[in-house]
Amino acid sequence: MKIFSESHKTVFVVDHCPYMAESCRQHVEFDMLVKNRTQGIIPLAPISKSLWTCSVESSMEYCRIMYDIFPFKKLVNFIVSDSGAHVLNSWTQEDQNLQELMAALAAVGPPNPRADPECCSILHGLVAAVETLCKITEYQHEARTLLMENAERVGNRGRIICITNAKSDSHVRMLEDCVQETIHEHNKLAANSDHLMQIQKCELVLIHTYPVGEDSLVSDRPKKELSPVLTSEVHSVRAGRHLATKLNILVQQHFDLASTTITNIPMKEEQHANTSANYDVELLHHKDAHVDFLKSGDNHLGGSSREGSFKETITLKWCTPRTNNIVCSSVSELHYCTGAYRISPVDVNSRPSSCLTNFLLNDPRYKIDGSLEIPLERAKDQLEKHTRYWPMIISQTTIFNMQAVVPLASVIVKESLTEEDVLNCQKTIYNLVDMERKNDPLPISTVGTRGKGPKRDEQYRIMWNELETLVRAHINNSEKHQRVLECLMACRSKPPEEEERKKRGRKREDKEDKSEKAVKDYEQEKSWQDSERLKGILERGKEELAEAEIIKDSPDSPEPPNKKPLVEMDETPPVEKSKGPVSLLSLWSNRINTANSRKHQEFAGRLNSVNNRAELYQHLKEENGMETTENGKASRQ
Amino acid sequence: MHLTPEETHRLSEPINSDFEHSFNKLDYLAFQLMLSVCILIGNIGITFIMPTVVVMDVSLSMTRPVSIEGSEEYQRKHLAAHGLTMLFEHMATNYKLEFTALVVFSSLWELMVPFTRDYNTLQEALSNMDDYDKTCLESALVGVCNIVQQEWGGAIPCQVVLVTDGCLGIGRGSLRHSLATHSQRSESNRFPLPFPFPSKLYIMCMANLEELQSTDSLDCLERLIDLNNGEGQIFTIDGPLCLKNVQSMFGKLIDLAYTPFHAVLKCGHLTADVQVFPRPEPFVVDEEIDPIPKVINTDLEIVGFIDIADISSPPVLSRHLVLPIALNKEGDEVGTGITDDNEDENSANQIAGKIPNFCVLLHGSLKVEGMVAIVQLGPEWHGMLYSQADSKKKSNLMMSLFEPGPEPLPWLGKMAQLGPISDAKENPYGEDDNKSPFPLQPKNKRSYAQNVTVWIKPSGLQTDVQKILRNARKLPEKTQTFYKELNRLRKAALAFGFLDLLKGVADMLERECTLLPDTAHPDAAFQLTHAAQQLKLASTGTSEYAGYDHNITPLQTDFSGSSTERM
Repeated sequence: MKIFSESHKTVFVVDHCPYMAESCRQHVEFDMLVKNRTQGIIPLAPISKSLWTCSVESSMEYCRIMYDIFPFKKLVNFIVSDSGAHVLNSWTQEDQNLQELMAALAAVGPPNPRADPECCSILHGLVAAVETLCKITEYQHEARTLLMENAERVGNRGRIICITNAKSDSHVRMLEDCVQETIHEHNKLAANSDHLMQIQKCELVLIHTYPVGEDSLVSDRPKKELSPVLTSEVHSVRAGRHLATKLNILVQQHFDLASTTITNIPMKEEQHANTSANYDVELLHHKDAHVDFLKSGDNHLGGSSREGSFKETITLKWCTPRTNNIVCSSVSELHYCTGAYRISPVDVNSRPSSCLTNFLLNDPRYKIDGSLEIPLERAKDQLEKHTRYWPMIISQTTIFNMQAVVPLASVIVKESLTEEDVLNCQKTIYNLVDMERKNDPLPISTVGTRGKGPKRDEQYRIMWNELETLVRAHINNSEKHQRVLECLMACRSKPPEEEERKKRGRKREDKEDKSEKAVKDYEQEKSWQDSERLKGILERGKEELAEAEIIKDSPDSPEPPNKKPLVEMDETPPVEKSKGPVSLLSLWSNRINTANSRKHQEFAGRLNSVNNRAELYQHLKEENGMETTENGKASRQ
Repeated sequence: MHLTPEETHRLSEPINSDFEHSFNKLDYLAFQLMLSVCILIGNIGITFIMPTVVVMDVSLSMTRPVSIEGSEEYQRKHLAAHGLTMLFEHMATNYKLEFTALVVFSSLWELMVPFTRDYNTLQEALSNMDDYDKTCLESALVGVCNIVQQEWGGAIPCQVVLVTDGCLGIGRGSLRHSLATHSQRSESNRFPLPFPFPSKLYIMCMANLEELQSTDSLDCLERLIDLNNGEGQIFTIDGPLCLKNVQSMFGKLIDLAYTPFHAVLKCGHLTADVQVFPRPEPFVVDEEIDPIPKVINTDLEIVGFIDIADISSPPVLSRHLVLPIALNKEGDEVGTGITDDNEDENSANQIAGKIPNFCVLLHGSLKVEGMVAIVQLGPEWHGMLYSQADSKKKSNLMMSLFEPGPEPLPWLGKMAQLGPISDAKENPYGEDDNKSPFPLQPKNKRSYAQNVTVWIKPSGLQTDVQKILRNARKLPEKTQTFYKELNRLRKAALAFGFLDLLKGVADMLERECTLLPDTAHPDAAFQLTHAAQQLKLASTGTSEYAGYDHNITPLQTDFSGSSTERM
């Protein structure tokens, strides 16, 4: 693929000399009488287009198809030639549309049949065409700037389509010589200029057009190389629809187009709204769209298309989308699409064509006005912020399982916070403090831990730590983020004594956990309750035990793990015991435990335990061979 | 994967609802019509395949002995089998999902092993090859065409590994004969190259360069690659023919065509090591101004997420499976994370399965949300990551490559301007997610969306004139439409220099005026006369009246004023 092939620049040179005002001698009936109404009225005489009108409308059709399929990078420069050259537009992209060209053509108007033919010539236009081909397009400029030292890779090729009425073959030869000479001269000029480019390759397409019924004075000639830079071909075409057909063929050749006919499209009849008939619509598009068909050998080649086009068309049967909306019908599915090609209807104004295009254009989804372009870099920034703290597994996170944290978590990732955001974050934190005060359960995952999982205050400690991690990941965003952290730190910190007490309590628990006190049960608990003298000192610890029970029964708490934990954490005996001097707490608890143990019989489980582990409900197994489930509850069948 | 989807903390978690970042743009009205060529269901199960056909020469010349000092005697076919064994072993380890077929040929060809993932079968077939007559390459290549098209159709890229000794046969059916008659082919006996599917043709010569150059063999083989549009390469043995040098030749093939493509998938701070399969091909954007093939980054950075409905089914260059992999310290791959019943999975692989992997999170999230992730492949080059169902139960994380360029999908606009939703003043998807900024409207509407005037066929002109006439008969109710159609015709006639038409239509309107029934509203006559007069003035072509941007406006009459009131 080459961006700067001959198709990058097309110059139309249309003859505007007096003889082009001549009739093409093809009549058009325009006064079509509506039946039942006009008896006895003679229709107005048919009119005919001039050679000029035929040339202009055929070139406009060429441009229409080209712009539809190549809205960018394929450019047209339109020149009309009489006593001088009138360049109607430039290579800039803004000038590349039909409206601009139509307005410019209207300003030129039809040729003046009374002008002096001696002063008029197509040569002016051809010279101007060569000149304009040397002018750099914005795409060429951009590519050259981008390539820097490789700027010479940017090619400058183009095509001149000249529609004229030539006098003879030798007249044609003269036009070709003139173009060749002009290219030679202008290439010399361009060599010394920064704004101009030398023409490397120019395709001259000379179209001699003449009124229907006359003999052509010029003969067709296929493409021929006149010089390494210039090739030329001559087409001798009758005016009227013959000329239009010729330009339609040329636009397909020049831009590698192919035709597809969509057949059997059901459309409502105008007269009978309840019935529908099937229509065909022929579309043009780049021929790559057909490559896969042709390769597969399954070519849907139908008959040749209507209206004398030369080429074959591939027929595809219409398939009405399930919903009334072509876009929404594919919402849930991504199809393997090997290519998408812009199309142009061959017969743009026919009712079936406009029916089809309107159907496809009519996307009922709400449309928005206004202009907003946000750099993609902002998206990367946002992704960076959002992923600073992002646990990948639900069981690795507490805060992202808590609805209560949402107001904070959803705004803390922002680049900047409003006062309202800060307020919401603070409210969230206060709310969490409140939850902790009320001892609300937390959705802490117990995956990977044994027993019932951490105690309530440990859960809150984990939650606060996680929240702190999240907020800390964003404190450098703004001063307001900093304030959220300050609030968090202030709220989670407890009065020192309480904190200390909690810590001690935790240590004891840790020990308890690690020495497999998971077997603790009702009896033990009762014994704790019995020993009233301990109440005062160990109140906190008792509370926690009671809570632990609540968590187990709470519907909010996660199910105990029924899978084998991924990592066996507590195979090794607790490090705590052997590490450092014995704390006051452990001395105290040991004493209490010893005292308590004297008051009751040791559990059978503990006595029979191996490594301080005992298998529960062994009798169930023995009795019915059924497996026991977690937590000792026999599975109910 | 080893994580259940429920376990993953989804992108859709409420806290990050605006994480699914998306895109904003403007002027959204019409949609550029595109003809999409899609390959629909039926090929879905084979989305990430790049099959290989090994084409092995079993002509007599392959039995020529290779003299190796002091060891048992080898034939060229033994060397070939040795090389292929190496290739198969490599593929069995690194390309478990790939399908390979084995074709042997002499003057006839035979499909020894149809497409399979069972490399043992392929290996066995190598040791069970008989020797046949002469080399006839063309028929073998025709065979390859048939086999591939039958199994995969014309869209799946395929690698053809041709193993031969460089003796190209004699007489009819020899490569020389095929090439000499190449230009005289008709459609019915088309030369099999270029292959009718995306392909690479690798020719493994059981001969060294000197040997091939002593005849025109090398030239002929090069012609073959040329005929395959340059897609492929010839490998020859460096130095004497021996097992070691054959190994090194096949090693080069493996490096070129069968090296896994490893990349790091990134999304902010989340990353995963992945293998992209098949290996993305380098892409030439423009052979002239940018002839250096572009290669995709090994850092694949996600730059955002977009609804499947918004991206539609975009055209793509190629599609690839994205497999999470575990890399050991040396950076060597130790195994893919895909499920595999293979029991001797190594331990690193097992560990890899237990570490939460971003690929799993991403895949699950895209699937649940019905979105795709836009991924940056290089400068001005993007692709998309999405979940695609392989079967009813299984789906895969896939990556498709868009064509390089700033605006690969016109309905999304410039990629560089697709920013996060949260940056938009107003959510372009609406508060209830009931609208979409896409598809974007092109700056210049296409002809079919702008009501262009084309009078090439008489019917086009007649329709436009009749529209005016129909409205003229319903004046004054249809005053606005009447003038709208009248001005449209006027503009086109002026641009085409078709002034006779203006005169004709003026005459027609004057006639209509005379035909007005007695019951007609008095305003009708005024408007018809006025319009006819204005058209006549325009038909003089004088700049005063024939301005393109000038519009004929309705005549202000007492009637028209009061008629509005009545309405």
